[in-house]
Amino acid sequence: MAEVKVKQESTDVVDIENRIKELCQQFPHGITDQVIQNDMPHVDAQQRAMAINRLLSVGQLDLLRSNAGLLYRLKDTQTASKMKGSDNQEKLVYQIIEDAGNKGIWSRDIRYKSNLPLTEINKILKNLESKKLIKAVKSVAASKKKVYMLYNVQPDRSVTGGAWYSDQDFESEFVEVLNQQCFKFLQSKAEAARDSKQSPMVQRNSSFATSHEVWKYICELGISKVELSMEDIETILNTLIYDGKVEMTIIVAKEGTVGSVDGHMKLYRGVNPIIQPTGLVKTPCGLCPVFDDCHEGGEISPSNCVYMAEWLDF
Amino acid sequence: MRRPVSPGTRTTAAGRKRSRPRLRNTQRGGTAMTAQEVRLCGLLLQEHYGEVVEKVGTHLLKNRALTLRAIAHETGTPLDLVKKSLCVLVQHGLCVFVSGRRGVEYHLSCERVLRILRFPRYIYTAKTLYGDAGELIVEEVLQRGHMTMSHAVRTVADRLTQNMEEGSSMDYSEVVSAFSRLVETQFLQRCSAVIEPSSAALLTATVDAPPVSVIVPTLSDNHPDRYKLPQISLRGRGKRRLSSEEIEGDQRAAKRAKLDKDQTEPSGDEGIYWQVNFDRFHQHFRDQAIVSAVASKMDQTSSEIVRTMLRMSEVTTTPSAAYTQPLSANEIFRALPPSYSIGRPVLEQYLSLLVDDPMEFVGKTGDSGGGMYVVNLHKALANLARATLESVVQERFGSRSARIFRLLLRKRHLEQKQVEDFAMIPAKEAKEMLYTLLSANLVQLQEIPKTPDHAPSRTFYLYTVNPLPTARMLLQHCYKTVANLIDRRLHETKENKRLLEKSQRIEAILASLQASGAETAQLTEVEEMITAPERQQLEALRHHVNKLDSSENQVDETIFLLESYISSTLSTR
Repeated sequence: MAEVKVKQESTDVVDIENRIKELCQQFPHGITDQVIQNDMPHVDAQQRAMAINRLLSVGQLDLLRSNAGLLYRLKDTQTASKMKGSDNQEKLVYQIIEDAGNKGIWSRDIRYKSNLPLTEINKILKNLESKKLIKAVKSVAASKKKVYMLYNVQPDRSVTGGAWYSDQDFESEFVEVLNQQCFKFLQSKAEAARDSKQSPMVQRNSSFATSHEVWKYICELGISKVELSMEDIETILNTLIYDGKVEMTIIVAKEGTVGSVDGHMKLYRGVNPIIQPTGLVKTPCGLCPVFDDCHEGGEISPSNCVYMAEWLDF
Repeated sequence: MRRPVSPGTRTTAAGRKRSRPRLRNTQRGGTAMTAQEVRLCGLLLQEHYGEVVEKVGTHLLKNRALTLRAIAHETGTPLDLVKKSLCVLVQHGLCVFVSGRRGVEYHLSCERVLRILRFPRYIYTAKTLYGDAGELIVEEVLQRGHMTMSHAVRTVADRLTQNMEEGSSMDYSEVVSAFSRLVETQFLQRCSAVIEPSSAALLTATVDAPPVSVIVPTLSDNHPDRYKLPQISLRGRGKRRLSSEEIEGDQRAAKRAKLDKDQTEPSGDEGIYWQVNFDRFHQHFRDQAIVSAVASKMDQTSSEIVRTMLRMSEVTTTPSAAYTQPLSANEIFRALPPSYSIGRPVLEQYLSLLVDDPMEFVGKTGDSGGGMYVVNLHKALANLARATLESVVQERFGSRSARIFRLLLRKRHLEQKQVEDFAMIPAKEAKEMLYTLLSANLVQLQEIPKTPDHAPSRTFYLYTVNPLPTARMLLQHCYKTVANLIDRRLHETKENKRLLEKSQRIEAILASLQASGAETAQLTEVEEMITAPERQQLEALRHHVNKLDSSENQVDETIFLLESYISSTLSTR
C-alpha cells in the first residue's frame, strides 16, 4: 500500500511539473497559480507548491509579480545556461539589475534590494562583469557614480546626457557648429524673404522657418553622427534666442500637419540687433578690468592708464 | 535771563545756537549726488566757467541749499567773487534761488550741470534740422545761457557773414525765420518770468530771521507766452568784421562797432530772454533712438511710419508719458511723407506687423478710424536700456556670458543647473562665467531656504538680473568714465603745454609776418623753428584730444539712454 502511494506521488510530481511546463509554453506571458489549479483540480495546494518550488530551484521557471498575483513563466533556456554555475545570490543580483531596465541601478540600491553585505555584492558584480553579463556605465550627472545594467541594453538618455554628450564629455564644439548652421539657415531665409520685395506680411511670413524645417535641414546636412530629434534642435534654437539673433513665435497648427506638436508649431526667424554696441564700450574704461581701483592720484589713474595710452595711439 | 533751550539744540563753540542738526542731502528731499556725479560736475564747471565757479559750484553740490554768506564763509572766497560766480551759474540756468528761512538760498542742480556734456549733440541736431542758422543760434544761446532774440539774431548774422564770400552778407530775416521755426517747434523757450513780488514774499520771513531787506523775485515756469515770438523790428544785414590790417585799425573798428550798437534803435524785446528747451531736445533724441531701433529691427518703411507717428504726437504728448496719444490709421496715412507713397492696405499690414512684433514698439488700442495705434514709449525705452546692458556684458565678458545674461533676463530666476542646460554651456565654464558676472554685480543671487535653518545643502540658490538697479550702476560707471576721459585730456594737454605754447607763438609770428608781406624764405625759417619730431608730437596730441572728445560724446549717448529709462520708471511709480 505504501509503495503505491509513493510511486503515485513521485509520478504525480513529475507529471505536475511537466504539465506546468506545458502550460507555460502555452501561455508564454506567464501563468498564474489559478491557471494551474484549473488545469489540475485534483492536485492539492501543497503538491502544487512543491512542484513549482522544484522548478524554480532548478531554474526552469521564472517567478514574476503582477498586479493579479504571482506569475510563473518558462525561463529562456539560453539564459538558463548562462546562469549555470552561478549561485542563488548572483542570480538574485542579476535579477535586480535586469529589473532596472535601461536606467541602470546603483550598487547601493542593489544592496538595499537584496539585503546582501557590501563585500558580497562587490564580488558578485565583479564576477558578473567578467562573465560579460552586466556592464557599468558612468552617469553624466554625477561623474563618480556608476550604474550597472545588462550588457546588451542601451543606456537611457538621462544617464548619458543624450545627444550632446559623448563619453561623459559635453561636446561644446558640436553644439557651436550646430548653432552656427541653424543661424545661417535662418539668416539666409530672412534675407531671401527681404529681397523678394513682396508685401510686408508675406515677407515676414516667408522669413519664418518651423522647427521641423530646421530639423530636416540639419539632418540633410549630415554634420551630426548622432541621430538628432526635433527637441534637440529646439534646444539649439533656444540658445540662438538667448544670443539675441533669433526670435520665436508659436502658431496654432492643425493636428497632422508636419511638425506640429499638440496642435501648435514653433516658428523661428533671424533678427538684427536693435542697437549698435553702446558708447560706453567703445572706450577703454568700459572694458577695463581694474575700473573700480582707478581714481585720480592713485596707482591706477586716468593720467597713467596703460589701456588708454594704447587706445589713443591706435 | 536765559531763554529755554528747545530739545535738539546744540551750541557751537562760538556760542551760536543751531536749532537742528544739519540734514543730509537725501533727507532734505532732493536727489542725492553720488561722488562720481560731483566729480564730473566739478570737471565740467572748471572747464567751462573757471576755477572760482568750480569751487563755489562743487561746494553747493555737496551741501544742499546755502546762503550767500555761508558759501563765502565755507569756501573761503571773497564775497564779490562768490557773487560773480553765482551770477554766472544763474545766468546759465544751473542755479536757482529760493527765499528760505535764513535768507535767500541758492541751490545747484546736478542734472543741469551734466547737460553741458550734451551741448555738442544739441548743436548738431539743430544743424540737421534747421541748417547753419539754426546751429549758430542754438550755439549762441547755449554759450550765453539767456539771450534776447534781437541780440541773438545780430550775432548769428555777423558770424554767418564772416564765413560767406566777400561782398555778400546774411540778411537778418533769414536768421529771424530760423529763430521763429525753432520757437514754433519749442526747441527754444522764454526764460521763467518774474512774478510781481507780492506781500507773500515778506510774509515768508519768520520772526527769528533777520528782516528781509531785499525783495526776492519768484520765478514761474508756467508761462502762457512761453513760445510766443515778440514783435520786433529788426532789419538789416550782418556786418562783416574787418580783418585787422593794423592793430590800431582794429581798435578803431571796435570803437566804431560800439557806437553802431548804441545808435541802432531798440528792437522792442528788452527783457524777453530765451533759453534752450532741453526737454524738447531730449524728446527728439528719444524719438530718434526709437526710430533707428525700429529701422534696424524691421525695415526702413516701418521706421518711417513710427517716425510719422512720433512727429504727430510731438506737441500733444507730455515728455514723461508712457504712450503717445492714440492715432487712427487714417490720420497716419494722411500724414505720411509723400516720398513714401504706400497704399492704404499696405500701411495696415505694416501697422499690424509692428503691433505683432515681440518688442512691442507700437500697440493697438482700438478699432475706430481704421484702428487706433499708440507708440509704447516706456516699453521702447526699457527695450533700448536692456539692449544697452546686454551690449555692455557682451563686449566686456564675451558672447557666451552675454547668452547667460539674456537667458537670465528672460527667465528671471534660474538655478545653476538650469542655466547650464538652457544655455548649452559646459558646467565648469558656465559656473565660472556666472561667478564673474556676480562679482561684477551684474547678476544677483537669491536664496530660498527649504528649512528654517538656512542650511546651504537645503537651500535653493537662484541667479537673477534686475534691470533697474543694474542700469543705475552702469550710469554711475558712465559718469566715472567721462570724468576719466576729461582727466586724461587735461593731463595730455598739460604734459605738452610747453610745446603747445611754442607752436602758438610760432603761429602768431607767422601770421604777423604774412600780414606784413615777408618773403617765403623768412616764413620757412620761422616754420622750421618747430622741428619734425615736435610736429609729430603735436599731431599726435591733436589726434589724442580729438579721440577723447569724440568718445565723451559717445559715452553721453549711453548716458542719455540709461537716464531716460531710469526717469521713465520713476514717473510710473
